[in-house]
Amino acid sequence: MADNHATAALKTSTVEKQPETTEAEAPRVMTRTKRMMVAIDESDSSFYALQWVIDHFSDLLMTTETAEAEGDLLTVVHVQSQFYHFAAFPAGPGGATAVYASTAMIESVKKAQQEASAALLSRALQMCRAKQIRAETLVLEGDAKDMICQAVEQMHVDLLVVGSRGLGKIKRAFLGSVSDYCAQHASCPILIVRPPKEITK
Amino acid sequence: MATSGEEKPVMIVGIDESEQSTYALEWTLDRFFAPYAPNFPFKLIIVHAKPNAVASVGLAGPGTAEVVPYVDADLKHTAVKVIEKAKGLCQTKSVHGAMIEVFEGDARNVLCEVVDKHHASLLVVGSHGYGAIKRAVLGSVSDYCAHHAHCSVMIVKKPKIKV
Repeated sequence: MADNHATAALKTSTVEKQPETTEAEAPRVMTRTKRMMVAIDESDSSFYALQWVIDHFSDLLMTTETAEAEGDLLTVVHVQSQFYHFAAFPAGPGGATAVYASTAMIESVKKAQQEASAALLSRALQMCRAKQIRAETLVLEGDAKDMICQAVEQMHVDLLVVGSRGLGKIKRAFLGSVSDYCAQHASCPILIVRPPKEITK
Repeated sequence: MATSGEEKPVMIVGIDESEQSTYALEWTLDRFFAPYAPNFPFKLIIVHAKPNAVASVGLAGPGTAEVVPYVDADLKHTAVKVIEKAKGLCQTKSVHGAMIEVFEGDARNVLCEVVDKHHASLLVVGSHGYGAIKRAVLGSVSDYCAHHAHCSVMIVKKPKIKV
């Protein structure tokens, strides 16, 4: 009983450390490593977001030389869309027998998905390595918006970074926007990086 | 974009009188400025949009003309308080060299214009955390800025303490 209370108190104290920035917080010493999460998919805008973070926040992020205690940890996350095993495939000559995908098909699709995400993540890691930023990768499966928000909560992420496809209002309503959903539902601050062609510099 | 001091990227923080935007400013100062004193990675500009008195009162009917000067005085008073609070926060975190600007008008337009004016790389806003209905009725400044600003937008929410 006492243990539960102690751990619960500890948890709330670390979570509440952020809002309690009133007095005597001594901001110089970062006692807790902050975690920055960048969500990527196949689109260019998400890689642009990653590049933007690397460019602008290179001072804040942990590099390969600095000690573990300094800097923030950069996590690159990719969410694979779920493959529904019971998708209705066009019925072949066998008719009703083609409803469930065969295990071989599932395997091959899964493998293709894994290869695709591995390629994406390795590209992301290369970008980080170019600026000597240490990053870790994470692959999740499911609906992008939910998984990202879940991951933010579970991993105590301090800042979520997403790209934006720059959809107009109508497209946004129909296609759904991951960045919009995360902006409303993520439990941490969110940084939306706009694609470059819209920036009039 | 190295911090060689010649051309620092510009960060704009939009504030109003709400607690959420104070929290957003504090969070930003703690995260991006305080640990790096005195060599800050960004140039900080704090912007407050003072609502236009006539626009807020609207055309509600007879008698509104007399109310406008009072509303105006109150809004000015609020704006001064907001600026003082922002200055106080910067002092507490030992962040010097921040510019504070006040504009009159609707927050959405003001923030987007300021971004263009200073060619900012990053706009930071708080979020009132409205639900879907309030958002539709009152409109969300953070939403508008996220879609229309010409730079990256960071929305800082005050975390809800989960009991």
